[in-house]
Amino acid sequence: MLKMTHLSKVYRTEVVETYALRDFNIDVKEGEFVAVTGPSGSGKTTFLTIAGLLETFTGGTYHLDNLDVSNLDDNARSKIRNEKIGFIFQAFNLIPDLNVFDNVEVPLRYRGMKAPERKERIMGALERVGLASRAKHYPAELSGGQQQRVAIARALAGSPRLLLADEPTGNLDTQMARGVMELLEEIHRDGATIVMVTHDPELAARAQRNVHVIDGQVVDLAEDPRFHTAYAAAAGQVRG
Amino acid sequence: MHIQPILVALRRHKAGTVLIALQIALTLAIVCNALFIIHERVAHISEPSGVDEADLFVIANQWGAQYSTQETVERIQQDIATLRQLPSVQEASAANSYPMRGVGWDNFITMQPDQRAPTSDAAYFTGDENFLRTLGVKLIAGRDFRPEEVQNMGLRQNVATPVAIITKAMADKLFPKGEALGKTFYAMTSTPITVIGIVDVLHRGDVSTWSAPYAGESMVVPIRLAVPSGLFYIVRAKSGQLAAAMREAPKALYAENRMRIIDPKDGLLSFAQVRHRAFERDRGMAILMGIICVVLLAITAAGIVGLTSFWVGQRRRQIGVRRALGATHRDILNYFMTENLLISLGGLAIGVLLAFGLNLWLVTRFTLAMLPLTYVLGGVVILLLLGQGAVFAPALRASRVPPIEATRPA
Amino acid sequence: MLAYYLQLGLRSLRRNPMLTALMVMAIGFGVSASMITYSVFRAVSGNPIPDKSSRLFVPQIDSWGPGRNEKGDPPGALNYVDAMALTRAHQASRMTLIYQVGLSTLPRDADSVPIATEGYAVTADFFTMFDASFLYGSGWSTADDDSRAADIVLSDGFNQRMFGGANSVGRKITLSGHDYRVVGVTRHWDPSPRFYVAWMGAEFDNPPDYYLLLNRALDLQIDNDGRNSCRGAITYKNWGEFLQSNCVWLMPWVELDTSSDVARYRSFLESYSADQQRAGRFGWAPNVRLPDVMQWQEVQHSVPPESRISLIVAMSFFAICLVNTIGLLLAKFMRRAGEIGVRRALGATRHEIYAQYLVEAAAVGLAGGLLGLLLTAVGMSGVGLLFEPEIARLAHLDVSLIGLTLVAAVFATIAAAFYPAWRAAQVQPAWQLKSN
Repeated sequence: MLKMTHLSKVYRTEVVETYALRDFNIDVKEGEFVAVTGPSGSGKTTFLTIAGLLETFTGGTYHLDNLDVSNLDDNARSKIRNEKIGFIFQAFNLIPDLNVFDNVEVPLRYRGMKAPERKERIMGALERVGLASRAKHYPAELSGGQQQRVAIARALAGSPRLLLADEPTGNLDTQMARGVMELLEEIHRDGATIVMVTHDPELAARAQRNVHVIDGQVVDLAEDPRFHTAYAAAAGQVRG
Repeated sequence: MHIQPILVALRRHKAGTVLIALQIALTLAIVCNALFIIHERVAHISEPSGVDEADLFVIANQWGAQYSTQETVERIQQDIATLRQLPSVQEASAANSYPMRGVGWDNFITMQPDQRAPTSDAAYFTGDENFLRTLGVKLIAGRDFRPEEVQNMGLRQNVATPVAIITKAMADKLFPKGEALGKTFYAMTSTPITVIGIVDVLHRGDVSTWSAPYAGESMVVPIRLAVPSGLFYIVRAKSGQLAAAMREAPKALYAENRMRIIDPKDGLLSFAQVRHRAFERDRGMAILMGIICVVLLAITAAGIVGLTSFWVGQRRRQIGVRRALGATHRDILNYFMTENLLISLGGLAIGVLLAFGLNLWLVTRFTLAMLPLTYVLGGVVILLLLGQGAVFAPALRASRVPPIEATRPA
Repeated sequence: MLAYYLQLGLRSLRRNPMLTALMVMAIGFGVSASMITYSVFRAVSGNPIPDKSSRLFVPQIDSWGPGRNEKGDPPGALNYVDAMALTRAHQASRMTLIYQVGLSTLPRDADSVPIATEGYAVTADFFTMFDASFLYGSGWSTADDDSRAADIVLSDGFNQRMFGGANSVGRKITLSGHDYRVVGVTRHWDPSPRFYVAWMGAEFDNPPDYYLLLNRALDLQIDNDGRNSCRGAITYKNWGEFLQSNCVWLMPWVELDTSSDVARYRSFLESYSADQQRAGRFGWAPNVRLPDVMQWQEVQHSVPPESRISLIVAMSFFAICLVNTIGLLLAKFMRRAGEIGVRRALGATRHEIYAQYLVEAAAVGLAGGLLGLLLTAVGMSGVGLLFEPEIARLAHLDVSLIGLTLVAAVFATIAAAFYPAWRAAQVQPAWQLKSN
């Protein structure tokens, strides 16, 4: 589903080159729920932006759904984002001017879908996250947890092959976070591929598989003494 | 206030900075040229006529029957007598035209009979012995016409008049070395005309730009215009009785002889109306330029308010950080005021060049005068004040951003 | 998609009512100032006779000579001698001579006082050359010109005043004591500017009441009521001597259908002038011109400089309003950088973002256009304050001006939005809402 081989991302300034990702390899199978963990600045967010085709990369290859997306132009990348990828952001990123219904509608509009089908999908997605009754509300009128569920509905409405989530519970309190997490698990059970970036071990533990990023590379925690201590507990659970 | 950091910050808002500067530049160019046009037009509008405007009115008299030249002369004399008998009328005169009529007669003036390039193109008034007295024109040298000097002029009957009264402006043009009285000139005549009197000011009949080189150059000859079409009666009311005289005069004329036409629309005009009509174009131009100036300044000010407000909104967090780091209200206010001052100065520098450029173009294309530096400086001051005034409200709002803003998430 | 963009645009405009109002006002004022001044300019600078303007010419002959002519150019009209010579030569397919007359008449009821009338003395070809159309009757023939008939053609307005609008062909009318026979009544027909009397400065005067047969008018010694220009010493003592003088006052027009006709007529004018030189009447080499209608209007400065300057200043004003709009749109669009980033992440292409913002700008433009239309309509009633009445009355708000106002406002605003929308489309798809 998502396969990166020897992928690198270099930021160049006048004086220095900074590797955000270096020889980055990852292979996410269809239907997997993968958590990407790592300390702040490790490159996990860079990975996600590249995975979501929000940014280009410098070297290596990236296959998404068996399609080489290395050399696509801006328009083609927009189209893939729109049709194959659903995004869940830490800050929800709902458009404040639009009500819940209209927010969920945004990606469907860019797909050029007819109004009846849009409506059906939007209401379906909202029912799934339990917010069908709030379709006419504006983001500011909802709690954080509700906003994130609208964002998830927006990601789901287009029936994406791949769901990318960046700290989906980062801006939520524990109880709301639990609700969102349960929703993600449910979506996964229904067959979606999910890649989630988080630094929260408890959250990561609920994924099928954990991938650890440090200094722009995927590392095997079991073999890396630097993080053995810090992630011992979590790693043990996942491996088990 | 340190300027360096403001300039650095402005580099991050290139487009907005350039747009405000450009708007200020263009506004300056338009506003100072428009103000200058207004000044020129107002100067034209307020040119002196040389006549007693408050008590004067004019009757355009056309004949409604066919008279011989001799009959016409008699009719005119009868009309003048009728007008002068009116209790509200001081004096009346028959003429071919009058100052500021809008159009008028003009004759080329030469010093020699065979001279090809004329010395002047003077406004040419034919008037009787009452002409100057009726108009209230000030005779500064020589004498007025005598009744026996006045000759009658019928249809296409050119009359050679041996004498004329000319304005001081014309005397100075024709005889720059001094004393014009008693000297002679030619006004498309084969015989010389002697200057017998000089009046201070007598505006030309026309108010056109072509005659600007001959401004104020008018001459009067003692001729009574007895042509079939008609003539003008210039009437001077007794002081304060203009309205009454204007009411009575046409009535008296029609009562005396109804075979005449005094056009109900413009056959009877007070001198105030004459002046008003003569400078319609100039007044319209001045009004239009005035409206454009005001609206333009308002829009530019509104634009500055709009863009500055946007910048303030965009930089709330940054302002919060500054405040948290100890900047006072005044520091923040000064920051935005100085920022606007710098952008304004940049725009005005370009604007000064544009203003002169636009003026140069108008000068070559429309024979406008050169833009004096004072107008540009005036424009610069207006726009600086406008900019500072416009930026004050958003800057004040910026200065009230609480330091807590620094802690809000980006 | 367009409907979606429009919906988004309107929503966004409602969100910043002040900013939106500011932009709409700037565009409204800018476009209306331009349209008001343009309506006047259009009226004074238009082609008054588009179908024939390239086939109608003014034959100019230098009858004054160097030092006395118009800075090297021949005078703009003819003296009587040359005018008659050109008419007799029959070198053009059509030719007319025009001069202005002012006569008095008594309206129908005998108790009333006389009224003043204005008209043109013209020759037979005048009506066909200038495309006059007739309500009743027709013009007269060249044979009538030659027989010096007392024929007259009335304008519909004057016919209304004198005959209550009835078919007056064959009726008698008395002007300044002389009788004329009505042969035709024109339909409302008045080219604007009235190019054929531009030299007299009468382009924008009241329309004429009638057209007199020129030879008859000359016989009756009806004086020229318009411009008359002479050189040297004036010595004439009566009408007959005046006709022989160097004063120019008769306005000639010829119709020439092909370019070879034009060339031929030009050489005719030169040979005529050369003949005059040989005969000793002209002491100088031939100096002739043959401008067509549009060239003539240019030479005669039919467009008042005020009209041009006002238009230029108003358009500069509009340009400044647009610069203002660019700045405000930029501020408005970039304030929504976050939203743009999210839309990009959700799959909007750059093109779609660009289109969305251009549509929003078009909505602003349309609103500005509507305000502009309102202001233009209000301004039209105030045109009388800005221009003299005879020019102000020519300016009017018609369908084409309404269309132009809206189109100009929308297109100018879209043009102003190119850069801000481009900037908006450059916003990278965002992972997080970023400020600053």
